[in-house]
Amino acid sequence: PSHSPQTPPLPSPNPPAAAQRSSRKEAKMVKFLKPGKAVILLQGRYAGKKAVIVRVFEEGTRDRPYGHCLVAGLAKYPKKVIRKDSAKKTAKKSRVKVFLKLVNFTHLMPTRYTLDVDLKEVASGAPDSLTSKDKKVGAAKAAKAKLEERFKTGKNRWFFTKLRF
Amino acid sequence: MAQKKSGDNINNKLQLVMKSGKYTLGYKTVLRTLRNSKAKLVILANNCPPLRKSEIEYYAMLAKITVHHYHGNNVDLGTACGKYFRVCCLSIIDPGDSDIINATPAGQ
Repeated sequence: PSHSPQTPPLPSPNPPAAAQRSSRKEAKMVKFLKPGKAVILLQGRYAGKKAVIVRVFEEGTRDRPYGHCLVAGLAKYPKKVIRKDSAKKTAKKSRVKVFLKLVNFTHLMPTRYTLDVDLKEVASGAPDSLTSKDKKVGAAKAAKAKLEERFKTGKNRWFFTKLRF
Repeated sequence: MAQKKSGDNINNKLQLVMKSGKYTLGYKTVLRTLRNSKAKLVILANNCPPLRKSEIEYYAMLAKITVHHYHGNNVDLGTACGKYFRVCCLSIIDPGDSDIINATPAGQ
């Protein structure tokens, strides 16, 4: 009954059980919690910090039977760099401290910003890279390098500014 | 006059959805359905706290899901859903026989 000829049916990410029905309707559903999305953490030690989704576990895992995702966030934002600073000072001020965390979706606030940073090595190691301490540190270092170089290019400025609240 | 008519229409459509479709009531589940894009339409009562209203509207903007601002407070919305409790926000996952999804985007 409700099949409108104007909008073409978009590929919908629903489970196959409902696939028939959703392909018929105008699938106006857009999944927005995707890798590359900038989010703000709402709970925990890093509440108020910005992070980027690295990998999404939609249906959860056995340890975490809820939707969650791996985020790489800024534990310490880079400081404000002014033109007067020497090269050494600029380098020091542009440093970031990164954290990796598995966060429940309910503890995130998604934003309209994205950060297309290539965090593939971090993502691939994902669930087990957070179990052991040295793997975690290695992954965090990789993420830190990527985020620092992104900051230095001057793009995604919103992401690297502290959220004032 | 036309305003009153569309108010009644929404109520009737809601009734039909309650009977034949899938829906969730309440802030937490509404956010959940918005997050996994299961929601087709979100309805907010008019006395929904403004922060909560903005938050749901923002999520819906990201997910490209329409939000309908119901002309009534949460008591009225609960009654319209046929429930004996207050409903501040609800999300319709599957409208069943109702055409509420197609009818509302014009109204908003």
